[in-house]
Amino acid sequence: MKFLAILLISFSTVMVAACSPEPPASAELDPSDWNSVLSAAKGQTVNWYVWGGSESINAFVDTFYGTALLERYDISLNRVPVADTVDAVNQVLSEKQAGAEIGSVDLIWINGENFSTLKQADLLYGDWAQALPNSRLVDWENPAINRDFGNPVESLESPWSSAQFQFIYDSARMDVGDLPRSYAELKTWACANPGRFTYIAPGPGAFQGTRFVKGALFEISGDAARWGAFDQANWDRWSPELWRYLNEIKPCLWRAGTTYPKDENELHSLFANDEVDISITQAIVGAGALIEEGLVPPTARAFVFDDYMIGDFNYVAIPANAPHKAAALVLANLILDPELQAAQVLPENGFGLGFGIDVGRVTDPAQRQALETAMERLGEAATPAGDLAQSLVGDAAAPYQALVEEGWRENVLIGQ
Amino acid sequence: MDSRTPALYLRLAPALAATLIMLGASLGYGVAQSLGYIGAIGARDLSLDAYTNLLGGQGAAGREFWVSLGFSLWVSMTSTLLSAVGALLIAAWLTDRPSRSGTFALNWNLAVPHLIWAVGLLLVLGQSGLLARWAGALGWIDGPAQFPVLVRDRFGFGIILHYVGKEVPFLTLIVLAVLRTQSDGLLRVAANLGADRWQRFRLVTLPLVLPALTAGALLVFAYCLGAYEAPALLGVQYPRALPVLALDLFTNPDLHARAEGMAIGLVITAATLLTAGLAQRYGNNA
Repeated sequence: MKFLAILLISFSTVMVAACSPEPPASAELDPSDWNSVLSAAKGQTVNWYVWGGSESINAFVDTFYGTALLERYDISLNRVPVADTVDAVNQVLSEKQAGAEIGSVDLIWINGENFSTLKQADLLYGDWAQALPNSRLVDWENPAINRDFGNPVESLESPWSSAQFQFIYDSARMDVGDLPRSYAELKTWACANPGRFTYIAPGPGAFQGTRFVKGALFEISGDAARWGAFDQANWDRWSPELWRYLNEIKPCLWRAGTTYPKDENELHSLFANDEVDISITQAIVGAGALIEEGLVPPTARAFVFDDYMIGDFNYVAIPANAPHKAAALVLANLILDPELQAAQVLPENGFGLGFGIDVGRVTDPAQRQALETAMERLGEAATPAGDLAQSLVGDAAAPYQALVEEGWRENVLIGQ
Repeated sequence: MDSRTPALYLRLAPALAATLIMLGASLGYGVAQSLGYIGAIGARDLSLDAYTNLLGGQGAAGREFWVSLGFSLWVSMTSTLLSAVGALLIAAWLTDRPSRSGTFALNWNLAVPHLIWAVGLLLVLGQSGLLARWAGALGWIDGPAQFPVLVRDRFGFGIILHYVGKEVPFLTLIVLAVLRTQSDGLLRVAANLGADRWQRFRLVTLPLVLPALTAGALLVFAYCLGAYEAPALLGVQYPRALPVLALDLFTNPDLHARAEGMAIGLVITAATLLTAGLAQRYGNNA
């Protein structure tokens, strides 16, 4: 009997959850009428699905956005940690397949392939990103912002922060003068120090590895700009040389290139355990946030090659079936607040990614000052700002993503 | 079948219904998606493309399917065989010496989740793991690269080691349970008739435990074939076990790849059901 009771209770819980009363319809929500958005959002709880793999980022989100939302707008933040953003995407997809008009996800920290999945499935709330009041601070003319991994953003997502591909070395183990500064030099260095370098296996969920390979493609072809638009002939012309480069460096890699770390954390751990000498990061504070987390030694420092270091932006998006779109809009707008943008780059706050807004568009002198001061306080574990700017290039057009990832498995990992 | 059977099923009905609905619905969705019915992107045309791609070695998924299948079978079969032999030997040894500590060690192992066991192996046996650090401290090796590759190797030895470590105790308990329900009369009779230790094992113990051991081994095989965490943690980028390949395809940003991911999932399911059926048969004979 006890078992039966438990079964009945769990069944009824499922049914209640499935048939819970719908929140006020948000169909008539008009993002361009900001006051109506604010009043609709009052008292709501916004369910923000955020990659939860970093304790310091979790704390940053709760402290900075959670407090501001509650105090300024009477909105509660429910941060939902996900192991991989694809889990949030699958949640939305499953809701759609189950026919749930009112879902459970209000806002997702997203970019690249996950954005393209939801866009492909037509599951994103649209026409809002450029209607946010703070959207005027965003440089929407910049192709690195209005395209996400080459996929047009089309006001379906709003930027949060920026990132740029960088390497990490340990200043206790290596001299800054000995660092390789190009892919060609990297090959020489790797083969002079066999087994001490590897990169993340390119593939879904490991875009840093894909980006490493794309950078090599840029250098080998001598130009990043030509990859901004998709051209099969370009790919056919240069990809064999790319595979040749990667196969030449392969025997000099960790485990002689028979296997590769699957994500950034695995590479950091190889680096921290002294199995390899170079790691990879995307954070504007370089190794700063990783040092705070204890993932890499305190002597770790970031550096870049002289050219072809891909930079991009990451975003927040609202699913079409989000139950609290108004609160999600307020949060997306709050993220672009200059004060919070300045806070997110400081290493001690634990987030460590760059600005989503364009500092030049901030008119308030005090806010502008705060942003500029923050940029000067990135810490010694960061790549010097001049090096970052000099090496910055945009990402390749979207179709190259799958070509690089599948081609790498076929031509480099599995090999001849 | 006796007269109590209908009443038995009636009492089981709630549990059976819940299981069948949950399992049936997800299996139904799985079959539909493997046939290309991806509701989220409005793909409604059914086809066997995913299966022909996989079996014909077409495309990114097909290129790896047969290799992954072979790898999974190799790992599962080797793990099962080694576990069964190991369990038999340990059980035969323990049954002569009933000791609390031996059984406790076996039970303790069962409480450790596979995930923890796998991470533990990685931390101890990895190239920068505990053993490597001791070897380094003793001056036997100069750096992590000199430590032998025991886990995350391309032959799956690390995964096999993981499964053997977890499944030997499981199978040993099954064998011990059979042995301890038998009185030791048979063994004594055999000894009286002049059978030596090996003959007693071969002619008495082995026939007694073989049905239960076979059924248990088939369960172990089915588990190894379908489990994700050990090959994901202890495997390499290539070759990958079938479940790892399936999840990779399922979470691919291109939703069309889900069909192939689901098809692999169903291949694993079919193999598991087949094995479970065999186990059921042998179990009933026991």
